[in-house]
Amino acid sequence: MSQIENLWSRRLARDLKCLLLLCALMCFVPLLDLSPYTLGILIVGFYFALMALAWNLLAGFTGQFSMAPAAFSMIGGYFTALLNFHLGATLWIGIPAAIIGSALLGFLLGATVLRLKGPYLSLTTLAFAEIARVFIGNSHEFTRGDQGLNVPTLMDDRIAYYYFFLALVILMGSLIFLLMRSKYGGYLLAIRDDADAAESRGIPVVRFKLLAFTISSAMCGFAGCMYGTFSQLVSPEMGLLQQTGLIISMVVIGGIGSITGPVLGALLVYLSSEWLRDIGNIQLIVFALLVMIFARFFRTGLWGIFLEIYARLKSKKHN
Amino acid sequence: MKVEPLLRIDGISKRFGGNQAVDHVSFDVPHGIILGLIGPNGSGKTTVLNMLSGELFPDEGITYLEGSPITRLSPSQLAHLGVIRMFQMTRVFGRLSAFDNLLIAGRAMGLTAAEASTRAQSLVQELTLEHVQYLDAGQLSGGQKKLLEFGMCFMCPPKIALLDEPFAAVHPVMRETMSRFIQSRNQSGQTFLLVSHDMPIVKSLCHESICMNTGKIISQGPTRSVLEDPNVIEAYLGGDHE
Amino acid sequence: MGLFYALMAVGLAMIFGILRIVNFAHGEFFMVGAYAYALTAMKLGINPWVALVLAAVGGAFLGIIIEKLLMRPLYQGYASWSIVKDEYAVVVTFALSLFLIHFVDKVVGPSPFMGPSLMSTQRIAIGPIMLNGQKIISAGISISLLCGLALFIKKSLWGRQIQAVAQNRFGSSLAGIDPVKTTSIIFAISGMLAALSGALMAPLMNPAPDIGSFPAIKSFIIVVLGGIGSIWGSMFAALLLGVSESFFAVYISYDYRDAFGLFILVAVLIFRPHGLAGQKGRGA
Repeated sequence: MSQIENLWSRRLARDLKCLLLLCALMCFVPLLDLSPYTLGILIVGFYFALMALAWNLLAGFTGQFSMAPAAFSMIGGYFTALLNFHLGATLWIGIPAAIIGSALLGFLLGATVLRLKGPYLSLTTLAFAEIARVFIGNSHEFTRGDQGLNVPTLMDDRIAYYYFFLALVILMGSLIFLLMRSKYGGYLLAIRDDADAAESRGIPVVRFKLLAFTISSAMCGFAGCMYGTFSQLVSPEMGLLQQTGLIISMVVIGGIGSITGPVLGALLVYLSSEWLRDIGNIQLIVFALLVMIFARFFRTGLWGIFLEIYARLKSKKHN
Repeated sequence: MKVEPLLRIDGISKRFGGNQAVDHVSFDVPHGIILGLIGPNGSGKTTVLNMLSGELFPDEGITYLEGSPITRLSPSQLAHLGVIRMFQMTRVFGRLSAFDNLLIAGRAMGLTAAEASTRAQSLVQELTLEHVQYLDAGQLSGGQKKLLEFGMCFMCPPKIALLDEPFAAVHPVMRETMSRFIQSRNQSGQTFLLVSHDMPIVKSLCHESICMNTGKIISQGPTRSVLEDPNVIEAYLGGDHE
Repeated sequence: MGLFYALMAVGLAMIFGILRIVNFAHGEFFMVGAYAYALTAMKLGINPWVALVLAAVGGAFLGIIIEKLLMRPLYQGYASWSIVKDEYAVVVTFALSLFLIHFVDKVVGPSPFMGPSLMSTQRIAIGPIMLNGQKIISAGISISLLCGLALFIKKSLWGRQIQAVAQNRFGSSLAGIDPVKTTSIIFAISGMLAALSGALMAPLMNPAPDIGSFPAIKSFIIVVLGGIGSIWGSMFAALLLGVSESFFAVYISYDYRDAFGLFILVAVLIFRPHGLAGQKGRGA
């Protein structure tokens, strides 16, 4: 593979092509006449793909390793559910509310952690996530606490929901592609690699960190809201740190710093988690182990491995 | 007739805890000059540079760029006004290709994609980085990274370039390339402020110099006279500095 | 309570402060220590005091293994990283923590028994205050350990090496000190202290795989409060936290007691970021 392939614009283009290919393949899956249960698993897998994309935007592209994605998903879901529960608001209001509400909170959280580096940022976002979850879980008057809240649904047909979520993944992936291809994407990457140097090169770091936080949180909230309409229930369990751990595993295993990686990771990890759960509830053990192995030895994840193999095959063909 | 200097520094000071790092320093940087800022370790020259580039704010005093005060602007704001700074420890965007580094630097300064691309290509040539331009910047050698950082700073010719020990730990051949780069840019009117320990380089590049010691300016003027100034010689030879 | 926190936090302070590595799995040392103590004492019928030592050794051992397997990339200059240093530590130790919690859960199961007390008398009355025998002994052990640690660092050869590495990693390697071995030692000590505090607490709580989480969060709070890199600061902060938490629990709200600590953490990080190394102040 000639070196020019390493140019960011080319890397991204390859990335998007693979994502679209993957999604195209997924289009055919319902034709396999699967049980509603299996379809449901795939749909939740797509939910996690959205979450993985959102977290990767923040962590893989901007270098902000937030521990709060699951919390924002929960928050988004609750915005919709609470509006429906207390005010009878329909999804027409509920969905935008989830997006805007999460974006706002994401902005605030981002503003809070602006000056913090690596572990401090993670700690603070972790604290935020836990506080949010405990708050929602304990506010029985307001949120019905652990019982959760109902959410109206968008459609009844599960297959329709499958394609809907698949379309969402394609949409999100493409939006992220457009962002990362633009100069703003370059700014985020620069901030990831060296925020101080980025500042000195004329990039308003504060503004773009906030932007990344806001967009990522809004995505998480939107995904949470969508999940809520599918499962018709939101509960504080959505915001468990464990869920964030799952999302992080998906991105690390799939390939952090890419678009296809998180999606691939999400689908593979979630599908295997169902299978591993049947074996004996060892899914988190396996994933945590895989994360450590990948982070230690295969930092570019499955996506990176795949690219390597592809590159080797291509150069063999040339010789 | 008095020509407005490019940069005017007026009585800036900075104190860190009990240490007066910079003590009422004032000087002008005329257009088109290569000005050297020298002094033994701990003399305050890097602190002055940090105050000029927005990393630190002076406790008192004002800095002017072409007559307008710039004292409390952030580094990115200063960059857009034409004050560019190079770090002592080279900072590039390691996980992006060298070419992408240049592109991003250019776009950040307001160039369009096409302009940035053209400029980047010519800079790559000028800095002899063609054979590594598509490698990740983190994989470049130390000297190559330094050249890349040069390139990034000059995607948009700045009004003034603040260089912090650019020749420290650099291969002699690279040093040559960098010197030539600085001199050729200077001939087109580019102003430089150079902090350095390297006397031969300072002598060969800098028209004028300022020498600091313990936070104060102890000598300024044409480089040759500054280097022969007995105060300067004593500052370097005598005294304890960390 | 403050003393337990101190014991645990000091270990974290060492890793965090000296090595600048964040160890999200710190709580799991605690848990492993508790389990080791409870299991060896109950199942194998070993004398509680010996079990205590075993737990400590186990903690040290675990620390060394983790350092060897996972932490090397952080300072051996691995080039071209997909995940930058700090974030690598976050991800890896977070994964490690999840792994240990669920692994222990699977392999051992939440144990239905508490570890045996070190002393037979449960309640001692000193004046108007009812004290728990176990707590007293544990407190005593903690204090002596902390003092011992302080002495160790000040006086012993290894201790001074640790100080040297803390101040200047590269420089000390030039002076002939092996930073890798010193790092292993730091991890070992950290693991040992945390495991020990877990073992000491075991008789007072129901061992479950996730008991390490809260103490870990408290440790982080303490380390941040006390100032990064300052061991005395951590000890002081630990006592402070222990006392104020109890006040809060009694006078304000029991449920939100743990959230209280989190609030403090966030507040400190925002308003008084002691020891955010490398953060150049903008003055103003």
